[in-house]
Amino acid sequence: MNNKNSNSDILVIGAGIAGIEASLMLSKSDRKVHLIEKNSYTGGMSIKFEEVFSNMECSTCMISPKQQDLLQDKNINLIMLATVEDVKGSPGDFKVKIHKKPRYVDMDNCIGCTACFDPCPVSIKNEFEEGLSTRKAIYIPCAGALPNVPCIDTNNCLRFQGKDCQACQDACMFNAIDFNQKDEKIELNVEAIIVATGYKLFDPNNTPHYGYKKINDVYTALEFERLYASNGPTQGKIQLKNGKTPKSGAIIHCIGRDKQGYCSSVCCMYSLKFNHYLKSKIPEIQIFELYTDLCIPGKSHQKFYEKIKQTGTTLIRATDIKITQQGQKIAITHTDEKGKKRNIIVDMVILSPAIVPNTDASQLANILGITCDDLGFYKEENQNISSVVTPKPGVFIVGCSQGPKNIQETVSQANAAVGKILSASQEGING
Amino acid sequence: MDRKIGVYICECGPNIAEKIDIDKVIKAVSPLDDVSIATRYKLLCSEQGKKFLEEQIKKNGLTHLVVAACSPRDHQHTFMTICENAGINPFLFQLANIREQCAWITENKEEATNKAIRLTKAAIGRVRYHVPLEKKEIESNPDVLVIGGGIAGMEASLHLASPQRKIYLVEKTSQLGGVVTNLEKTFPDMQSCPKIIQDKIDQVTNNDNIKVYTNCEVTEILGFFGNFEGTVTQNNNEDKTTVGFNVGAVVLATGCALFDPTDDPNYGYGKFDNVITALEFEKMNLAGNIRLKNGKTPKSVAIIHCVGRDKKGYCSEICCMYSIKFVRYLQNKIPEIKISNFYTDLCLPEKSYQKFYEQSRGKKNDFIRIDSIKITNPGNKLTITHNDEQGNKKSHGVDMVILSPALEPSVDTKKLAEFTRISQDDEGFFAEEHEKLGPVTTSTEGVYIAGCAQGPKSIQNTLIQAEAVAGKILSSLIPGKKIEPEVKVAHISESFCIGCKTCLTVCSYGVITFDSTKKVCVANEVICRGCGNCVAACPSGAASLKHFTFNQLRQELKEAVL
Repeated sequence: MNNKNSNSDILVIGAGIAGIEASLMLSKSDRKVHLIEKNSYTGGMSIKFEEVFSNMECSTCMISPKQQDLLQDKNINLIMLATVEDVKGSPGDFKVKIHKKPRYVDMDNCIGCTACFDPCPVSIKNEFEEGLSTRKAIYIPCAGALPNVPCIDTNNCLRFQGKDCQACQDACMFNAIDFNQKDEKIELNVEAIIVATGYKLFDPNNTPHYGYKKINDVYTALEFERLYASNGPTQGKIQLKNGKTPKSGAIIHCIGRDKQGYCSSVCCMYSLKFNHYLKSKIPEIQIFELYTDLCIPGKSHQKFYEKIKQTGTTLIRATDIKITQQGQKIAITHTDEKGKKRNIIVDMVILSPAIVPNTDASQLANILGITCDDLGFYKEENQNISSVVTPKPGVFIVGCSQGPKNIQETVSQANAAVGKILSASQEGING
Repeated sequence: MDRKIGVYICECGPNIAEKIDIDKVIKAVSPLDDVSIATRYKLLCSEQGKKFLEEQIKKNGLTHLVVAACSPRDHQHTFMTICENAGINPFLFQLANIREQCAWITENKEEATNKAIRLTKAAIGRVRYHVPLEKKEIESNPDVLVIGGGIAGMEASLHLASPQRKIYLVEKTSQLGGVVTNLEKTFPDMQSCPKIIQDKIDQVTNNDNIKVYTNCEVTEILGFFGNFEGTVTQNNNEDKTTVGFNVGAVVLATGCALFDPTDDPNYGYGKFDNVITALEFEKMNLAGNIRLKNGKTPKSVAIIHCVGRDKKGYCSEICCMYSIKFVRYLQNKIPEIKISNFYTDLCLPEKSYQKFYEQSRGKKNDFIRIDSIKITNPGNKLTITHNDEQGNKKSHGVDMVILSPALEPSVDTKKLAEFTRISQDDEGFFAEEHEKLGPVTTSTEGVYIAGCAQGPKSIQNTLIQAEAVAGKILSSLIPGKKIEPEVKVAHISESFCIGCKTCLTVCSYGVITFDSTKKVCVANEVICRGCGNCVAACPSGAASLKHFTFNQLRQELKEAVL
């Protein structure tokens, strides 16, 4: 079993839930896995959520055991702060070049005590928290991030801007800070490649009528997730920019759907979940959900919707939505399903934007020799053969990089890509 | 042999050393029975620290190890490995979490120290009664029983079969293919279903490693992951021939049924001519014969979405899309036909679906949102009465009505769930192990679900689940490789058991059976996951969990709280 040559190694790109799931399965079948992650932490988008629909399980609690397994797995070579630069060769024998940026913190020596944070004189917006809190130039994105080892952000670190600062190094008791780490070029030889690079959210700045960034207290779904998160900027306290508790809120579905030209499949459900978030923290809050078509596929999802409806939320099928500031409050004008113009006034607005391809999706597609569809997601060869198979043999696409989907479907695709790889290499099989 | 317990307290650099008076902890635990050494070290998880611990165990001839340090999430695994390397059973170890649970939660050094003393004493109290647990290995059979010869069952079989792994594919009807054999085209790319399904059938029948049993039903499944025994009975002959096989895994790919519209009299199904279901329309279309009862070609058709959704309590995910596909069929075959779609919410949840919808719209094709609907048959024309969005009552006359019913669990679901000791969800489908992370695994290890048997889904998502099942089996049931069952498992004492069967009702994994001769319950340790439900429920103290015995917990609690 263990006499596999190096060509049975697998490259997995992206250490979100899809990449983690695929890597752990491959490791279990005695494959060596190289898991590439561009960030300094694992878990991807799913660790930003406090709870997941429809059973409202704590997302971090659900995913962190997998992240722990990953870090302890001897068959998995986790390469963080890394990107794929070049892929040559053919299935069974891909030659891959990886560029790994330095963390400047030694993974073996650091124990994650965070003593280096306080002395760092830099303070900048924490992008993991959607800019709702600040971080230092040496940082972990949030409490509980795994691996629990900080990294130095050289764009903001004084030392890397030519100043004479070594405050973090002085504070570290474990000799973990190493300013001399260098960029690395890593060359790998792999049998197959799984692409699990995820997604980003549609930027509501492209739809100015929703008032995003112009009106205080108009939040995106991700900003609101962090606002509710117990390890987030407010430790889970839902508050307005002025510190007050909102008495009313509106959740607007389908942000960017028109522009993108597709339904993102998960927004209705997570928007309904936000209802639960708001009601659980502020029981007396008045909530409006403005939607176009309720898309709640999945056997357990309608039940969740019925439960939310019973909490007294006002569901409005709305079009022509426009959001403006009205004194201290926010006005939402819209046309309801009877064709009447209406206006509601709330303290807080949450926008649920479409899932869109990652910024670097097409660049990576070029490197891998695969293509993007006309929406920018990775294109499968033929949905009726398998949505994880690309026209390039040996390269598989999973999760939201292939198209918007929920965690369950993402995990299924990750399992399926592993099925494809292991099936093709069974002895006596032509694949 | 005498116990010699070593207690090692990690300073964790300043993290523990500055917040806890470690010397006081050492002083408090040193005099305890069986403690042979208690000492401190600056960082036990460092390379030097690990070497130090291993040498200490050997040098001092320790029999048990207690480490007071960080959360078990961080380094339990590290220290258990050290025990193994040093030649003591890794279960003769206990970790006291004095960092996250003491040092990091208070500025009060005295309180932190007192709690650290209690937790360390509790660990010592417990480890004293630990017993060595040995990892077991059992032989496994890599073969797979696949139930259901539709597209999911065939896709899984094709990915699993190899000269080292035989597949037994059992189909209830006389032919492979399942529901897809009734369809002309897939949505959204309108590819030929007969071609897709025939290709799969050919591959399956030509594969020497797949044995197909048509006209057969599974009548019994016994055993556990790696070692199931399945019995299959022929259902078309009188003597009911049975065949048995040994397999390592079972795949349930039994598909689904359609909601019966006669259950809702508003639709007039079964009462009026030319009110047909989606499946009847698919068959009519596949036969190239879209006709009314009187043989004429329909001039107008209504397609009604969400039939049965209210009663079932869920959205079936694919009905909007296949209803729009029907628009394509009709536009293609009867270009002048007038089509009205009556829907509640359009559910178009994949990247290419909305485009398919937009491209299917046309002048002779209405999409009408309704909140209630009734079909009547005054004269010779079907009439659809509904409320529109403004709340006004409207009616339409049409020649033909196509009902798009909800998908529901197939009739065999209950029986097969019982055979395999898995549960059904509230909707009646097979329940997956975990809504998010385990869509194709179940509470019985080695039993997998794929396709609409798990819940409504498209052909594309069905294929993905079938491939996912293949991935799960190929990565865990490897020919020639033994299976390592959980070691911290339940045991039911034969002499204490009163045969009340309480444990049977709380076990989610089908571990416990009742021995009717001895009148006692028996736990199958090979499949137990160690959840402890039976232990908590047992009224006579007969059930116990290894590594969490009453005595171990009592000793731990006594030191922690008294």
